[in-house]
Amino acid sequence: MAADTQQQIRVTDLDVPQLADVRRQLDEELTHLTNSFTQLKQAQAKFRSCIDNAAEVKPGNKDTTILVPLTNSLYVPGKLSDLENVIVDVGTGYYVKKSRAQATKYYQSKVDYLQSNLETLQETILKKQEDLTFVTNVLQSKIQAQSQGSTRNAKDR
Amino acid sequence: MASTEESQDNNPRGIPKAPFISDVEKYIGGPDGDVESAMKKIQDALAKYRYMDGNLAQRRRGLEEKIPDIRKTLSMVEFLNERREGKQKSDDLEENLDDLDLEDETADKKPLVTTFELNETLYAEAELEDTDVVYLWLGANVMLSYNITEAMELLATKLKNAEASLQSLQEDLEFLREQITVMEVNTARLYNWDVVRRRERRAKEASASTG
Repeated sequence: MAADTQQQIRVTDLDVPQLADVRRQLDEELTHLTNSFTQLKQAQAKFRSCIDNAAEVKPGNKDTTILVPLTNSLYVPGKLSDLENVIVDVGTGYYVKKSRAQATKYYQSKVDYLQSNLETLQETILKKQEDLTFVTNVLQSKIQAQSQGSTRNAKDR
Repeated sequence: MASTEESQDNNPRGIPKAPFISDVEKYIGGPDGDVESAMKKIQDALAKYRYMDGNLAQRRRGLEEKIPDIRKTLSMVEFLNERREGKQKSDDLEENLDDLDLEDETADKKPLVTTFELNETLYAEAELEDTDVVYLWLGANVMLSYNITEAMELLATKLKNAEASLQSLQEDLEFLREQITVMEVNTARLYNWDVVRRRERRAKEASASTG
Protein backbone atom coordinates (compact mmCIF):
# COMPACT_ATOMS: atom_id res chain seq x y z
CA MET A 1 0.00 0.00 0.00
CA ALA A 2 2.94 2.36 0.59
CA ALA A 3 3.86 1.87 -3.04
CA ASP A 4 0.33 2.79 -4.06
CA THR A 5 0.29 6.02 -2.07
CA GLN A 6 3.71 6.86 -3.49
CA GLN A 7 2.35 6.29 -6.94
CA GLN A 8 -0.71 8.33 -6.10
CA ILE A 9 1.36 11.34 -5.20
CA ARG A 10 3.44 10.96 -8.33
CA VAL A 11 0.58 10.41 -10.70
CA THR A 12 -1.67 13.18 -9.48
CA ASP A 13 1.27 15.56 -9.76
CA LEU A 14 1.57 14.92 -13.46
CA ASP A 15 -0.28 17.10 -15.89
CA VAL A 16 -2.46 15.88 -18.71
CA PRO A 17 0.03 15.18 -21.55
CA GLN A 18 2.36 13.39 -19.18
CA LEU A 19 -0.51 11.32 -17.83
CA ALA A 20 -1.48 10.42 -21.37
CA ASP A 21 2.10 9.29 -21.95
CA VAL A 22 2.13 7.12 -18.85
CA ARG A 23 -1.17 5.64 -19.87
CA ARG A 24 0.09 4.85 -23.35
CA GLN A 25 3.19 3.21 -21.93
CA LEU A 26 1.15 1.04 -19.59
CA ASP A 27 -1.06 0.08 -22.49
CA GLU A 28 1.92 -1.05 -24.56
CA GLU A 29 3.31 -3.08 -21.69
CA LEU A 30 -0.06 -4.69 -21.20
CA THR A 31 -0.29 -5.64 -24.89
CA HIS A 32 3.20 -7.08 -24.78
CA LEU A 33 2.45 -9.13 -21.67
CA THR A 34 -0.80 -10.43 -23.13
CA ASN A 35 1.04 -11.52 -26.27
CA SER A 36 3.59 -13.39 -24.20
CA PHE A 37 0.76 -15.02 -22.32
CA THR A 38 -0.83 -16.21 -25.56
CA GLN A 39 2.47 -17.59 -26.81
CA LEU A 40 3.06 -19.52 -23.61
CA LYS A 41 -0.44 -20.93 -23.85
CA GLN A 42 0.22 -22.08 -27.40
CA ALA A 43 3.50 -23.70 -26.42
CA GLN A 44 1.74 -25.49 -23.61
CA ALA A 45 -0.94 -26.78 -25.99
CA LYS A 46 1.77 -28.11 -28.29
CA PHE A 47 3.42 -30.04 -25.47
CA ARG A 48 0.04 -31.46 -24.45
CA SER A 49 -0.49 -32.71 -27.98
CA CYS A 50 2.99 -34.26 -27.87
CA ILE A 51 1.83 -36.30 -24.89
CA ASP A 52 -1.14 -37.54 -26.88
CA ASN A 53 1.03 -38.33 -29.88
CA ALA A 54 3.48 -40.29 -27.77
CA ALA A 55 0.56 -42.29 -26.45
CA GLU A 56 -0.33 -43.31 -30.00
CA VAL A 57 2.94 -45.18 -30.41
CA LYS A 58 1.53 -48.10 -28.47
CA PRO A 59 1.91 -51.87 -28.90
CA GLY A 60 -1.71 -52.03 -30.01
CA ASN A 61 -0.67 -50.34 -33.23
CA LYS A 62 2.08 -52.76 -34.08
CA ASP A 63 0.96 -53.90 -37.49
CA THR A 64 -1.23 -51.06 -38.56
CA THR A 65 -0.10 -49.38 -41.71
CA ILE A 66 0.67 -45.76 -41.25
CA LEU A 67 1.59 -43.05 -43.72
CA VAL A 68 5.10 -41.96 -42.91
CA PRO A 69 5.99 -38.39 -43.86
CA LEU A 70 9.32 -38.23 -45.64
CA THR A 71 9.12 -34.55 -46.47
CA ASN A 72 6.51 -31.82 -46.16
CA SER A 73 4.43 -33.22 -48.99
CA LEU A 74 5.61 -36.82 -49.42
CA TYR A 75 4.12 -39.70 -47.51
CA VAL A 76 4.96 -43.37 -47.83
CA PRO A 77 3.05 -46.27 -46.34
CA GLY A 78 4.88 -48.07 -43.57
CA LYS A 79 4.59 -49.68 -40.16
CA LEU A 80 5.74 -48.57 -36.75
CA SER A 81 8.96 -50.42 -36.01
CA ASP A 82 9.85 -49.26 -32.52
CA LEU A 83 6.88 -49.18 -30.22
CA GLU A 84 8.59 -48.73 -26.91
CA ASN A 85 10.75 -45.70 -27.63
CA VAL A 86 10.32 -42.30 -29.13
CA ILE A 87 12.87 -39.62 -29.86
CA VAL A 88 12.48 -36.31 -28.14
CA ASP A 89 14.10 -33.05 -29.23
CA VAL A 90 15.40 -31.63 -25.96
CA GLY A 91 16.88 -28.51 -27.52
CA THR A 92 20.33 -27.23 -28.60
CA GLY A 93 20.53 -29.96 -31.24
CA TYR A 94 20.17 -32.91 -28.88
CA TYR A 95 17.74 -35.70 -29.61
CA VAL A 96 17.20 -38.29 -26.89
CA LYS A 97 15.64 -41.68 -27.34
CA LYS A 98 13.27 -42.19 -24.45
CA SER A 99 10.78 -44.83 -23.54
CA ARG A 100 7.19 -43.83 -23.93
CA ALA A 101 6.72 -43.43 -20.22
CA GLN A 102 9.81 -41.25 -19.91
CA ALA A 103 8.72 -39.10 -22.83
CA THR A 104 5.26 -38.64 -21.33
CA LYS A 105 6.87 -37.61 -18.03
CA TYR A 106 9.18 -35.18 -19.83
CA TYR A 107 6.35 -33.46 -21.68
CA GLN A 108 4.17 -33.40 -18.61
CA SER A 109 6.87 -31.63 -16.63
CA LYS A 110 7.20 -29.13 -19.48
CA VAL A 111 3.46 -28.54 -19.35
CA ASP A 112 3.54 -28.03 -15.59
CA TYR A 113 6.49 -25.64 -15.80
CA LEU A 114 4.66 -23.56 -18.39
CA GLN A 115 1.56 -23.61 -16.23
CA SER A 116 3.40 -22.04 -13.29
CA ASN A 117 4.88 -19.40 -15.62
CA LEU A 118 1.44 -18.68 -16.99
CA GLU A 119 0.06 -18.15 -13.51
CA THR A 120 2.80 -15.68 -12.55
CA LEU A 121 2.30 -13.84 -15.83
CA GLN A 122 -1.43 -13.72 -15.21
CA GLU A 123 -0.89 -11.96 -11.88
CA THR A 124 1.45 -9.41 -13.47
CA ILE A 125 -1.12 -8.72 -16.16
CA LEU A 126 -3.87 -8.14 -13.61
CA LYS A 127 -1.70 -5.73 -11.68
CA LYS A 128 -0.86 -3.83 -14.87
CA GLN A 129 -4.53 -3.63 -15.75
CA GLU A 130 -5.30 -2.13 -12.35
CA ASP A 131 -2.56 0.45 -12.79
CA LEU A 132 -3.88 1.29 -16.23
CA THR A 133 -7.44 1.82 -14.99
CA PHE A 134 -6.13 3.94 -12.14
CA VAL A 135 -4.08 6.19 -14.41
CA THR A 136 -6.99 6.49 -16.85
CA ASN A 137 -9.27 7.63 -14.03
CA VAL A 138 -6.80 10.22 -12.80
CA LEU A 139 -6.36 11.44 -16.37
CA GLN A 140 -10.08 11.80 -16.91
CA SER A 141 -10.63 13.64 -13.63
CA LYS A 142 -7.75 15.98 -14.50
CA ILE A 143 -9.21 16.73 -17.92
CA GLN A 144 -12.59 17.40 -16.35
CA ALA A 145 -11.06 19.64 -13.72
CA GLN A 146 -9.16 21.51 -16.40
CA SER A 147 -12.21 22.11 -18.58
CA GLN A 148 -14.27 23.16 -15.57
CA GLY A 149 -11.51 25.51 -14.48
CA SER A 150 -11.29 27.11 -17.94
CA THR A 151 -15.08 27.57 -18.24
CA ARG A 152 -15.10 29.12 -14.81
CA ASN A 153 -12.35 31.50 -15.85
CA ALA A 154 -14.30 32.44 -18.96
CA LYS A 155 -17.41 33.10 -16.89
CA ASP A 156 -15.51 35.23 -14.39
CA ARG A 157 -14.18 37.52 -17.11
CA MET B 1 0.50 16.58 -75.83
CA ALA B 2 3.00 14.86 -73.62
CA SER B 3 6.53 14.68 -74.87
CA THR B 4 7.44 11.26 -73.63
CA GLU B 5 9.63 8.39 -74.63
CA GLU B 6 7.44 5.48 -75.57
CA SER B 7 9.60 2.66 -76.75
CA GLN B 8 7.35 -0.05 -75.34
CA ASP B 9 4.10 0.70 -73.59
CA ASN B 10 3.67 -2.51 -71.69
CA ASN B 11 6.09 -5.13 -70.54
CA PRO B 12 5.27 -8.78 -71.36
CA ARG B 13 2.94 -9.23 -68.41
CA GLY B 14 0.93 -6.08 -68.86
CA ILE B 15 2.66 -3.69 -66.50
CA PRO B 16 2.45 -0.25 -68.16
CA LYS B 17 5.70 1.53 -68.72
CA ALA B 18 6.13 4.81 -66.88
CA PRO B 19 6.43 7.79 -69.25
CA PHE B 20 9.42 9.99 -68.60
CA ILE B 21 8.49 13.66 -68.72
CA SER B 22 11.38 15.32 -70.54
CA ASP B 23 9.56 18.61 -71.07
CA VAL B 24 7.42 19.51 -68.10
CA GLU B 25 5.82 22.54 -69.71
CA LYS B 26 4.58 20.57 -72.68
CA TYR B 27 3.33 17.78 -70.38
CA ILE B 28 0.98 20.03 -68.43
CA GLY B 29 0.03 22.11 -71.49
CA GLY B 30 1.76 25.45 -71.55
CA PRO B 31 3.25 27.84 -68.97
CA ASP B 32 -0.05 28.25 -67.20
CA GLY B 33 -0.91 24.61 -67.04
CA ASP B 34 -2.33 22.91 -63.99
CA VAL B 35 0.35 21.30 -61.86
CA GLU B 36 -2.00 19.85 -59.26
CA SER B 37 -3.82 17.43 -61.51
CA ALA B 38 -0.59 16.31 -63.18
CA MET B 39 0.96 15.76 -59.78
CA LYS B 40 -2.06 13.76 -58.68
CA LYS B 41 -1.90 11.55 -61.76
CA ILE B 42 1.74 10.82 -61.11
CA GLN B 43 1.11 10.07 -57.44
CA ASP B 44 -1.70 7.69 -58.35
CA ALA B 45 0.47 5.82 -60.81
CA LEU B 46 3.24 5.69 -58.25
CA ALA B 47 0.89 4.24 -55.62
CA LYS B 48 -0.25 1.57 -58.07
CA TYR B 49 3.35 0.63 -58.90
CA ARG B 50 4.21 0.40 -55.21
CA TYR B 51 1.20 -1.81 -54.53
CA MET B 52 2.16 -4.14 -57.35
CA ASP B 53 5.69 -4.21 -56.01
CA GLY B 54 4.45 -5.32 -52.60
CA ASN B 55 2.26 -8.01 -54.14
CA LEU B 56 5.00 -9.45 -56.30
CA ALA B 57 7.49 -9.38 -53.44
CA GLN B 58 5.05 -11.41 -51.38
CA ARG B 59 4.51 -13.95 -54.16
CA ARG B 60 8.22 -14.25 -54.64
CA ARG B 61 8.76 -15.01 -50.94
CA GLY B 62 6.11 -17.73 -51.10
CA LEU B 63 7.75 -19.31 -54.12
CA GLU B 64 11.19 -19.13 -52.58
CA GLU B 65 9.86 -21.17 -49.68
CA LYS B 66 8.08 -23.73 -51.81
CA ILE B 67 10.86 -24.44 -54.29
CA PRO B 68 13.34 -26.08 -51.87
CA ASP B 69 10.45 -28.19 -50.54
CA ILE B 70 9.60 -29.46 -54.00
CA ARG B 71 13.28 -30.22 -54.65
CA LYS B 72 13.54 -32.21 -51.43
CA THR B 73 10.40 -34.18 -52.19
CA LEU B 74 11.59 -34.91 -55.70
CA SER B 75 14.96 -36.16 -54.52
CA MET B 76 13.23 -38.38 -51.91
CA VAL B 77 11.04 -39.93 -54.56
CA GLU B 78 14.07 -40.50 -56.77
CA PHE B 79 15.84 -42.16 -53.85
CA LEU B 80 12.87 -44.45 -53.22
CA ASN B 81 12.80 -45.29 -56.87
CA GLU B 82 16.49 -46.17 -56.93
CA ARG B 83 16.07 -48.37 -53.91
CA ARG B 84 13.20 -50.14 -55.51
CA GLU B 85 15.09 -50.62 -58.74
CA GLY B 86 18.09 -51.84 -56.77
CA LYS B 87 15.91 -54.42 -55.04
CA GLN B 88 14.36 -55.52 -58.28
CA LYS B 89 17.76 -55.96 -59.83
CA SER B 90 18.92 -58.02 -56.90
CA ASP B 91 15.73 -60.08 -57.22
CA ASP B 92 16.64 -60.79 -60.85
CA LEU B 93 20.17 -61.58 -59.79
CA GLU B 94 18.90 -64.06 -57.26
CA GLU B 95 17.14 -65.96 -59.99
CA ASN B 96 20.31 -66.13 -62.04
CA LEU B 97 22.80 -66.86 -59.27
CA ASP B 98 21.13 -69.85 -57.71
CA ASP B 99 23.87 -71.24 -55.59
CA LEU B 100 25.97 -68.25 -54.93
CA ASP B 101 26.08 -66.95 -51.42
CA LEU B 102 26.53 -63.32 -52.06
CA GLU B 103 25.36 -61.80 -48.85
CA ASP B 104 25.20 -58.30 -50.16
CA GLU B 105 22.90 -59.20 -52.96
CA THR B 106 20.57 -61.63 -51.26
CA ALA B 107 17.36 -59.79 -51.45
CA ASP B 108 16.39 -59.97 -47.82
CA LYS B 109 14.02 -57.21 -48.64
CA LYS B 110 15.91 -55.01 -46.20
CA PRO B 111 13.20 -52.66 -45.13
CA LEU B 112 14.07 -49.04 -44.74
CA VAL B 113 13.90 -47.89 -41.15
CA THR B 114 13.41 -44.21 -40.70
CA THR B 115 12.66 -41.72 -37.98
CA PHE B 116 9.77 -39.46 -38.82
CA GLU B 117 8.15 -36.49 -37.20
CA LEU B 118 5.06 -37.11 -35.10
CA ASN B 119 5.01 -33.63 -33.67
CA GLU B 120 7.31 -30.69 -33.38
CA THR B 121 9.66 -32.16 -30.77
CA LEU B 122 8.58 -35.77 -31.06
CA TYR B 123 9.90 -38.37 -33.47
CA ALA B 124 9.25 -42.08 -33.84
CA GLU B 125 10.72 -44.97 -35.75
CA ALA B 126 8.95 -46.72 -38.57
CA GLU B 127 9.63 -49.28 -41.23
CA LEU B 128 8.84 -48.31 -44.79
CA GLU B 129 6.99 -50.90 -46.76
CA ASP B 130 8.02 -51.90 -50.21
CA THR B 131 5.60 -50.11 -52.39
CA ASP B 132 5.07 -48.65 -55.80
CA VAL B 133 2.81 -46.02 -54.52
CA VAL B 134 3.63 -42.73 -52.82
CA TYR B 135 1.24 -40.15 -51.50
CA LEU B 136 1.67 -36.52 -52.35
CA TRP B 137 0.15 -33.70 -50.33
CA LEU B 138 -1.08 -31.17 -52.86
CA GLY B 139 -2.34 -28.62 -50.37
CA ALA B 140 -5.90 -27.52 -49.64
CA ASN B 141 -6.55 -30.73 -47.72
CA VAL B 142 -5.95 -32.80 -50.82
CA MET B 143 -3.66 -35.81 -50.91
CA LEU B 144 -3.36 -38.14 -53.86
CA SER B 145 -1.60 -41.43 -54.34
CA TYR B 146 0.72 -41.73 -57.28
CA ASN B 147 2.87 -44.32 -58.91
CA ILE B 148 6.50 -43.60 -58.23
CA THR B 149 7.20 -42.66 -61.85
CA GLU B 150 4.08 -40.51 -62.06
CA ALA B 151 5.08 -38.81 -58.83
CA MET B 152 8.50 -38.01 -60.22
CA GLU B 153 6.99 -36.52 -63.34
CA LEU B 154 4.49 -34.47 -61.39
CA LEU B 155 7.13 -33.12 -59.06
CA ALA B 156 9.50 -32.34 -61.92
CA THR B 157 6.76 -30.36 -63.68
CA LYS B 158 5.87 -28.52 -60.48
CA LEU B 159 9.48 -27.62 -59.91
CA LYS B 160 9.93 -26.37 -63.47
CA ASN B 161 6.78 -24.23 -63.28
CA ALA B 162 7.74 -22.81 -59.93
CA GLU B 163 11.20 -21.90 -61.15
CA ALA B 164 9.78 -20.29 -64.30
CA SER B 165 7.31 -18.23 -62.24
CA LEU B 166 10.10 -17.16 -59.93
CA GLN B 167 12.15 -16.06 -62.91
CA SER B 168 9.34 -13.99 -64.41
CA LEU B 169 8.50 -12.52 -61.00
CA GLN B 170 12.11 -11.46 -60.64
CA GLU B 171 12.00 -9.72 -64.04
CA ASP B 172 8.73 -8.02 -63.18
CA LEU B 173 10.11 -6.77 -59.89
CA GLU B 174 13.14 -5.26 -61.59
CA PHE B 175 10.97 -3.63 -64.21
CA LEU B 176 8.72 -2.18 -61.52
CA ARG B 177 11.74 -0.81 -59.65
CA GLU B 178 12.76 1.11 -62.78
CA GLN B 179 9.27 2.47 -63.32
CA ILE B 180 8.97 3.57 -59.71
CA THR B 181 12.26 5.45 -60.00
CA VAL B 182 11.11 7.10 -63.23
CA MET B 183 7.89 8.23 -61.59
CA GLU B 184 9.69 9.58 -58.56
CA VAL B 185 12.00 11.54 -60.83
CA ASN B 186 8.94 12.89 -62.64
CA THR B 187 7.41 14.03 -59.36
CA ALA B 188 10.62 15.80 -58.42
CA ARG B 189 10.93 17.53 -61.80
CA LEU B 190 7.32 18.60 -61.85
CA TYR B 191 7.60 20.00 -58.35
CA ASN B 192 10.84 21.86 -59.08
CA TRP B 193 9.44 23.28 -62.29
CA ASP B 194 6.43 24.51 -60.36
CA VAL B 195 8.65 26.14 -57.72
CA VAL B 196 10.62 27.94 -60.42
CA ARG B 197 7.42 29.09 -62.10
CA ARG B 198 5.98 30.46 -58.87
CA ARG B 199 9.18 32.34 -58.18
CA GLU B 200 9.11 33.86 -61.68
CA ARG B 201 5.48 34.85 -61.28
CA ARG B 202 6.15 36.51 -57.94
CA ALA B 203 9.12 38.37 -59.44
CA LYS B 204 6.94 39.49 -62.36
CA GLU B 205 4.18 40.72 -60.06
CA ALA B 206 6.70 42.47 -57.85
CA SER B 207 8.26 44.28 -60.81
CA ALA B 208 4.81 45.02 -62.28
CA SER B 209 3.60 46.61 -59.02
CA THR B 210 6.76 48.70 -58.59
CA GLY B 211 6.93 49.62 -62.29
